[in-house]
Amino acid sequence: MTTFRRVAGKLGALLLTLFLASLLVFFSRFLVPGDPVSFLLRGRKPSPEAVAQVTAQYGLDLPPWQQYLNWLTGVLQGDFGRSLQYRQDVSEVIGDRLPVTLMLVVMAGTMIAVVGLTAGIVASLNRGKVLDRAVLIGLTVLGAIPSFVGSIVLIAVFAVQLGWFPSFGSGEGFLDMAYHLVLPSIALAIVFVVLVGKVTRSSMVEQLGREHVEVATSRGLKRGTVIRRHVFRNSIGPILTVSGVLVAGLLVASSIVEAAFGLAGIGTLLVQSVDRLDFPVVQAIVLLIVTAFVVVNAIIDVLEPWIDPRAAAGAGAR
Amino acid sequence: MTLLDISELTLDLPNGKRLLDGISLTVAEGETVGLVGESGSGKSLTARSVLGLLPSRATMGGSVQLLDQSVLDASRSELLALRRTRASMIFQDPRAGINPMRTVGDHLTETMRLCEGRSAADAKAVAISLMEAVRLPRPEEHMNQYPHELSGGMLQRVMIAGALTSSPRLLICDEPTTALDVTTQAEIIGVLAEQRASRGMGMLFITHDLNLAASICDRVYVMSAGRVEEQGDARQVFSNPQAAYTKRLVAATPTIVVARDSAATADQGADASATTSDAVPSTADAAASASASATPAPVEAMLSASGISKTYVRRGKEPVRAVIDASIEIPRGGALGVVGESGSGKSTFARMIVGLEQADTGDIRIAGRERTSVPSSRVERLEHARSVQMVFQDPYLSLDPRITAGKAIEDAMRLHRNLSTTDARARVIELLEQVGLGDVHAQARPRTLSGGQRQRVAIARALAIEPDVLVMDEATSALDVSVQAQVLSLVEEIRRERGLTVLFISHDLAVVRRLCDETVVMKTGEIVERGRTIELLGNPQHPYTRLLIDSVPRPEWNLEAVAAEASELEDPVAQN
Repeated sequence: MTTFRRVAGKLGALLLTLFLASLLVFFSRFLVPGDPVSFLLRGRKPSPEAVAQVTAQYGLDLPPWQQYLNWLTGVLQGDFGRSLQYRQDVSEVIGDRLPVTLMLVVMAGTMIAVVGLTAGIVASLNRGKVLDRAVLIGLTVLGAIPSFVGSIVLIAVFAVQLGWFPSFGSGEGFLDMAYHLVLPSIALAIVFVVLVGKVTRSSMVEQLGREHVEVATSRGLKRGTVIRRHVFRNSIGPILTVSGVLVAGLLVASSIVEAAFGLAGIGTLLVQSVDRLDFPVVQAIVLLIVTAFVVVNAIIDVLEPWIDPRAAAGAGAR
Repeated sequence: MTLLDISELTLDLPNGKRLLDGISLTVAEGETVGLVGESGSGKSLTARSVLGLLPSRATMGGSVQLLDQSVLDASRSELLALRRTRASMIFQDPRAGINPMRTVGDHLTETMRLCEGRSAADAKAVAISLMEAVRLPRPEEHMNQYPHELSGGMLQRVMIAGALTSSPRLLICDEPTTALDVTTQAEIIGVLAEQRASRGMGMLFITHDLNLAASICDRVYVMSAGRVEEQGDARQVFSNPQAAYTKRLVAATPTIVVARDSAATADQGADASATTSDAVPSTADAAASASASATPAPVEAMLSASGISKTYVRRGKEPVRAVIDASIEIPRGGALGVVGESGSGKSTFARMIVGLEQADTGDIRIAGRERTSVPSSRVERLEHARSVQMVFQDPYLSLDPRITAGKAIEDAMRLHRNLSTTDARARVIELLEQVGLGDVHAQARPRTLSGGQRQRVAIARALAIEPDVLVMDEATSALDVSVQAQVLSLVEEIRRERGLTVLFISHDLAVVRRLCDETVVMKTGEIVERGRTIELLGNPQHPYTRLLIDSVPRPEWNLEAVAAEASELEDPVAQN
């Protein structure tokens, strides 16, 4: 019952957030200089009739709130309007690009989880020793490399010098795409590996010093069991919280990596659309990123009592 | 037969610091052996060495034999076997010692399932029977509960049950009741004694509490600075201590035992306050007798709180009535003790008097001025602070680590008065000297001071403003007994010299007895009994007061005589 109420409450908050985000996303276009009509009529000499016709055709003559309602109604039905530059439905334009970005994010996410967690765990279990220092220094150095520099170095070494991976394009079919995306996802993952690694290390170190860990050891549990069941299990909370915040950064950072590797993904599309004042596409992508961020964090929130049972008891828990 | 034989155990850290210096002790089957000492004495380290739980870079010397198996030379798998079958350990704080993210059932069955390879159902059955053995009320239900759903006392029972799953031959208890209330402590000690007897286990019992050690142990070892100072029959050691350190420890330990001729003691107590507080001799006495007979005091009370109530409203839960219609009165220069267990509302009461919390109803007056409401403006806060100052429980937390002791005191002073730098400095030194510190300590940061020194700084800071009333909330609970004795003597001295009015909040009847003329007992928000401390201890009226007094561990013999003799040897204030 309480679980149901809590989840319902989270869902309400989620919908409210998305609604506010949609307002911001839609009306921000009125703050940006530039007129979509002049873009649509580019190359032609705009006669007043033509301008009026295009304006009416795209519904730009309506008052802003009416335009918003039209847009929102469409969005709720999966219709994001038409792209001004491609003269196609926005959903189609995005649909073409989405698989690349999704694949990129999933591959990078996996790397972040595997490498970040491993680095953090290894460092924490060797706290103060050479290995810990090495991992920490390694992470700090990696964290200082901007992703476009990382991309160029990766291309130079693994694509050009060694020729192991392609340097450009996203390939055809699932396996080929995965192969093409190895270097881009490494480039994307680096900065986030550093963050996750450091959070994991400090969270683990904190738990390692807890008395219940000593109690578990005193009872004759193997070290591996103690680490798994009592140290790592209790460290998950902070790691997940940080990971949730990283999601937005990951989607945004993908645009840089996509540009560096010439991938036709959401990120490059966003940059291009902003450049060309293709408002419907920009709005759709931004809304997509916001939605992804909010949903991931809502899921983490809902999971919290499962991760830490004390959270279920509310603020009253000691 | 000998279960545990530690001989000439040494432990050195890489930086050359020697933490254990030639410890030798034995525990036989069915025997309860006490390991007594203050913080830093090495008693916990000695106990942990039995299970091979040692600092990773320490160098060990000597030997630890557990059932004829050497612990220090044991391989990793031998060590696991040893922990799984021969000895178990119970830790101080059950709330820290049981993983908060796993269920009680998981804690209990974990080793049986993962180490002994028993089936889940089998392990559960054993866990439930053990929970019954340690008298947990609803074993089936507790299996699926999380630690935060149980009280501290119940959790300590879970910890005990968990330690017994392996049927150990030796049970090591590291301050198992220090984090618990005194009535809960008595119950836990009962459970431990019962299990030890029925299983014929040996028990190594670590504690800082002499009375507790004396009341349950057959033999004791007194440790200090990594060495065994004295050992022998518990009664012998405490009633006739040989080593200077033991004598000091016995002298410093406050007791609630009221001598047979309680009248004599009472007189003595009254004498002390009457003869030495020249400024206000008659007031204290008159008021003490006045409020003892529960008639309005003829003299103006320094602190009077009447009909104070506080209820916390919690969303979706029952409201908590933290303080219910509590009234106290302290005459100028008096000292009142408020005694209660955790959750009794004593700290909330103190916080309302200090102005950190708003009372729902009631009236608080300090030196005749209205002090009920929480001050909201800067001027009001300063006014309130001049009326009443508080000394908190943990000096490690109540002093800013980056501010030197002198500066902390100076800052408090300058907040209230315009002083030139030289005047302020001079006053700081004066205050520090008053609390038994010197100008060398003015430059010290809290990190470099000991616990007792820190609490002295906290007291000096509170006194810097020259408040009407000093509230001490468990101000000696975090300190070792010898340090506690020093701080208590200091407060007594300041009371004598300056006629300071003190409200002393504590869970410890013995400490209150030492310091306070009068005492009130609080239970779940209400004051259930009040009176002169000695009368209250000697002849308690309310059943709860009786329970509190009966729960305080007490050896059959009287510590009083020894304490009196030993206290002459040593002036606790003089040493740091």
